[in-house]
Amino acid sequence: MSPPAPALHPALRGRLTAGDAVVLALSLAGLVALAVQLWGADARPDTALVRIDGREVLRLSLAEAGQYAVEGPAGTTRVEVRDGRIRCVSSPGPQHLCERAGWLSHAGEVAVGLPNRVSIEVLGRNRRFDSISY
Amino acid sequence: MRLFTFAGRRRVAALLGCVFALLLAACEKPDPLQATRLLVFGTVVDVATWGVTPKPAQAAFDELRTAFESWHREWHAWEDSPLSRANRAFAAGAGAALTPDLLRLVSDARAWSQASNGLFDPAIGRLVALWGFNQGERPDAPPPPPQAIAELVNAHPSMDDLTVDGEQLRSRNPQLWLDFGGIAKGYAVDRAIERLRARGVQNAIVNAGGNLRAIGSKDGQPWRIGVRDPRGPGVLASLTITGDESVSTSGDYERHFEWQGVRYHHVLDPRSGYPAIGAVAVTVVAESAEKADVASTVLMIAGPTEWRALARALGVTQVLRIDESGQVELTPALAARLHWEVSPPPTLTVVPEP
Repeated sequence: MSPPAPALHPALRGRLTAGDAVVLALSLAGLVALAVQLWGADARPDTALVRIDGREVLRLSLAEAGQYAVEGPAGTTRVEVRDGRIRCVSSPGPQHLCERAGWLSHAGEVAVGLPNRVSIEVLGRNRRFDSISY
Repeated sequence: MRLFTFAGRRRVAALLGCVFALLLAACEKPDPLQATRLLVFGTVVDVATWGVTPKPAQAAFDELRTAFESWHREWHAWEDSPLSRANRAFAAGAGAALTPDLLRLVSDARAWSQASNGLFDPAIGRLVALWGFNQGERPDAPPPPPQAIAELVNAHPSMDDLTVDGEQLRSRNPQLWLDFGGIAKGYAVDRAIERLRARGVQNAIVNAGGNLRAIGSKDGQPWRIGVRDPRGPGVLASLTITGDESVSTSGDYERHFEWQGVRYHHVLDPRSGYPAIGAVAVTVVAESAEKADVASTVLMIAGPTEWRALARALGVTQVLRIDESGQVELTPALAARLHWEVSPPPTLTVVPEP
């Protein structure tokens, strides 16, 4: 005696097996998970990158508060992460442009200290602006 | 029952294959936006391209890095460079041969100087140095003595003092010292865009220290440009660009120092020898980065009653000017496309077409 036919649309009956359905369901679930991981996280940027002379020296999660120091050609630049934001606490330079950039929390926001060749940038795809005139 | 028949297994394998192929394709597809940040030219240069694969994009970035570094070496007004050597020759009454780029800068600067009634004056390098704005690190020192400022203003060096003598340039005025700070970034951005285009890059932004030019689009989507809030941490307003346009902002928050509670910024008025007063920031949208750069500097120097006439003289129609009291003035052409990013938007005056 044959088993009862699965409840499928007549057009699919006999073409899609239970195994196919399982694989399809798993694939879809996987794609959803990937989409959430790849795009969902950008709704709230969670990573900042600190570079010296274009070279990555720190990759920081904005979810974990902390204070860090990096060494550049002009001395030490101190950065702080708190409440999902990052800022330049101190950096050598006459104008303190790095510090004056304040807290960075949006994707694409940047603080730069030229003498120490340091840049701090919040990562993310959903940048509000492609470029800033300042 | 068996879950997978033989035919079923083949189908499962095919399906899995498709899923992996899709995932791989997704992984391999490069980001259409390629970007780099160069700490060159004494400033930050951001370059972005759209629709260029990583390898040619990196090659273009490398070319621009080399170019900006060589322009910096060539055009530096004070460190040993072809320009500083020419400046020393002018001061000694001797002639100097310039590089092709420097000759073009001189010729462009002379035209802008004439069009702006002398408000744009790259010949006042000695005044820039007197104020200490020629160095990366200005020592913590008071503003220069008024007597020294007056002497340089009265010597009145200008672009008209330069004369062509065969293949050499000479200056009639020994106080002339060329400093292309008010035009070099714009000029360099325009040359950088030319180099990108020569490589077949159609969609790009080059931003040198806040002076930017955008060409093309992002797959039909315009480039989104923010204008910095001169007194706040973020973006004051924004606009979109498709095709080819430049945006430049001059502000008193750029190079400056404070002494006894007074802010002294780097945009010097050649008429007084002191930092320009009246405006805290001027943004200009124009067809080239050089024009936007020069115009934003000139309109920062021009007073509240003269800036519209000067905008007309320079041929710019899109201007945003913010004065010391926070009053915002802008031209109709820019008002039509500017989007305020602060809430509430500032009280603003749309002035008649310049």
